[in-house]
Amino acid sequence: MATLMELLPIWTSVFFTLAVYSFLYGENPWYRFAEHAYAGISVGYAVAFNLDYLRDQWFDRWSLQGGGMMAIYIVCILIGLLWYARFVKKYFHFYRWTLAIIVGTGIGMALRTVIFTQFLNHIIAQARIPLFVAGDMNSTISNILIAIMTPCVLLYFWFTGGAAEGGPMDYVRKIARYTIMAGFGSAYGYTVLTRYSLFIGRAQFLLGNPPNPPEARMAFIVIAAVMLITLFGSDFLRKKD
Amino acid sequence: MSDVLKRIQIPIIITAVAALLQVIPYYFNIPVIDSAASTAADGVILIVNMAVFVGVISISQVHGRRISRRAERWGYSVVLMISMIIMALTGLPFESMGLGLKNPIYDFFFMNAMTPLSGTLYSILAFFITSAAYRAFRARNIESALILVAGTIVVMSNAPLFTSSFPFFIDMKNWIFDVPNASTMRAVTMGAALGAIALAVRTLMGIERGYLRGGGED
Amino acid sequence: MSLMDKLQNIDRRYIYLLGWIFVLFPLLFPLGLPVPIGRESQAWKEYIDNIPNDSVIIFSLDYGVSGMPELFPMTISTLHHLWTDTPAKNFKVVVVGFWTQAPLVFDILLDVMGDIDSKYGIEYGVDWIELGWIPGSETGMSAFANDIWGQTPRDFLEDRPLSEYPIMENIRVAEDVDLVISIETGTPGLPEWLRQWNDPYGVPFIVGCIGVSVPGMAPYLASGQLSALLPGLTASGEYEIMIGRPGLAVAGLDAVSMSHLLVVCLVLIGNIAYFASGRKT
Repeated sequence: MATLMELLPIWTSVFFTLAVYSFLYGENPWYRFAEHAYAGISVGYAVAFNLDYLRDQWFDRWSLQGGGMMAIYIVCILIGLLWYARFVKKYFHFYRWTLAIIVGTGIGMALRTVIFTQFLNHIIAQARIPLFVAGDMNSTISNILIAIMTPCVLLYFWFTGGAAEGGPMDYVRKIARYTIMAGFGSAYGYTVLTRYSLFIGRAQFLLGNPPNPPEARMAFIVIAAVMLITLFGSDFLRKKD
Repeated sequence: MSDVLKRIQIPIIITAVAALLQVIPYYFNIPVIDSAASTAADGVILIVNMAVFVGVISISQVHGRRISRRAERWGYSVVLMISMIIMALTGLPFESMGLGLKNPIYDFFFMNAMTPLSGTLYSILAFFITSAAYRAFRARNIESALILVAGTIVVMSNAPLFTSSFPFFIDMKNWIFDVPNASTMRAVTMGAALGAIALAVRTLMGIERGYLRGGGED
Repeated sequence: MSLMDKLQNIDRRYIYLLGWIFVLFPLLFPLGLPVPIGRESQAWKEYIDNIPNDSVIIFSLDYGVSGMPELFPMTISTLHHLWTDTPAKNFKVVVVGFWTQAPLVFDILLDVMGDIDSKYGIEYGVDWIELGWIPGSETGMSAFANDIWGQTPRDFLEDRPLSEYPIMENIRVAEDVDLVISIETGTPGLPEWLRQWNDPYGVPFIVGCIGVSVPGMAPYLASGQLSALLPGLTASGEYEIMIGRPGLAVAGLDAVSMSHLLVVCLVLIGNIAYFASGRKT
């Protein structure tokens, strides 16, 4: 027989899971409670990780590397304190300095290689597509289509609203739109897979399927019954009024 | 003096220097700048981590105000504040006092509240997608018919129920993935890369200042 | 109102109820549907089978608990595959994560898989190690590439300095790494990895990702920047079957089939009702 301490975590998990799913019936207090709890917990939990990292970096790295590095660490911590200037209108401009460092570093990191990884490499790959594959008509046709479709989509993005009606851009637009529609259809299909996979994972937990605790099934039945009764009941009373 | 410090040019110059400090060593072999860039990157991570309490303070301001004014549904704000305070306090890195990542209360709320809540909030979209597909996914014209057909083929090819009985769905999905999808995504990737470069250059030149807005001044 | 009009205006809660039924039924009463093997899972398995001996592999958990249902099965299967091959091929597996919740996901994995060392005949600190979370997203990836020891001076599992672990002796910078396997759900993810590891240092990549991210991976696969891709739960199930270890993914595939059948049927019914009612919505 499972003890209260063993059952409490399982029933808590099931409660929060069903509280969120209760939104499917309609807006209700169970969902609002879970939503607000999630907001509070997710803001608070990251505190542990961030402070842990700062402490470990000091004791295991920066404090061991001499006066210069220790000073840089302290300067970084002081600059980090400027984040909180955003809450004081008089000193808000100092907050912008910290933001500028972060944004600038991020831009620099991305800028230096984005031209290769997300532009030149793809142009090279596109140029290397063989337009004729001996003995394989499917690949030949597919490659020719890719060679036509990719530039059409690019031109469509770049000249949306910019090019006059009529002329060859009409054909480019048409090919591009058909290509994009087929591509986004693929994206839709995979989105369905992801969302249902996530739901299936939660359903496996609610049913207590291994490796989830089997006690979850009883919790699911009881808590679902209570929630449905309260939801139907409040609906009934509202209609009666 | 304080007016000088408030000038928008200062953060713009800081942005440009920080960016160039990362870009220059990548293309030029200058050991001093290389070392400075490496140290700067490590320092930036520390600065980012120092923002740990910004969310806590922001939320406390908004919901604290709601509680003090007894605004509508202020009870939920109490729930939010209590859960945030519990997680933030129990997670503080004072292991000698029993706090930190291994604190039982912190662990309990993480495993039994945060985990199911975040998993469920993402999974609920499955129902909305299904309802939207039933109500709005119509073959009204050629373009919508294309997205409908491609989407339906990919949905069927991800289900063993269909692919075991009709293996040609796998070949059709592979073709959609390799040809129209790859063409679209390649163009999107390249276009996004150019857009990112353009935005970065505008930011470095001080033309793009959206990230510096706020505080009642520009 | 005609039947077709009623069909188009049905209360959406009935659709939600159908969603519950079509998912719960096969989980309660497994259908045992056959699972054909696709090219992606085949390519993934072949790639891992052909990893050269003595390779240093960074295994990055770039997801949190919200992505676990879809990514956890492939994480377990891939690590099982790597650790099974480790005694013969002398792999060095370094587990990291650039998402805050990654270490917690790995804790859950260790609970599920049990005693790794005795199960696979390997040793923590010699054949594998867990370095924990590295903050900073793309900046963190770059800093990690320049100085692995600097970003993670201690391991996460035992909280001891890296100098005490033989595995880390020759793993200091990105050039010491032979392969990165990233199981990911968004940002930071593959584009950030490619910008900070693949382009500067030429480190090859294979990625397992959620379905939503899959279409965006196509150009990287086509250009060769990505060497193999495991796209979502269905491919995870296929991979589990190929390595002879059916697990969480296979257990969910019947429900995947039924839920997708529901979506296809609803789309068909919706369109039939639309055309039959004279294209009115």
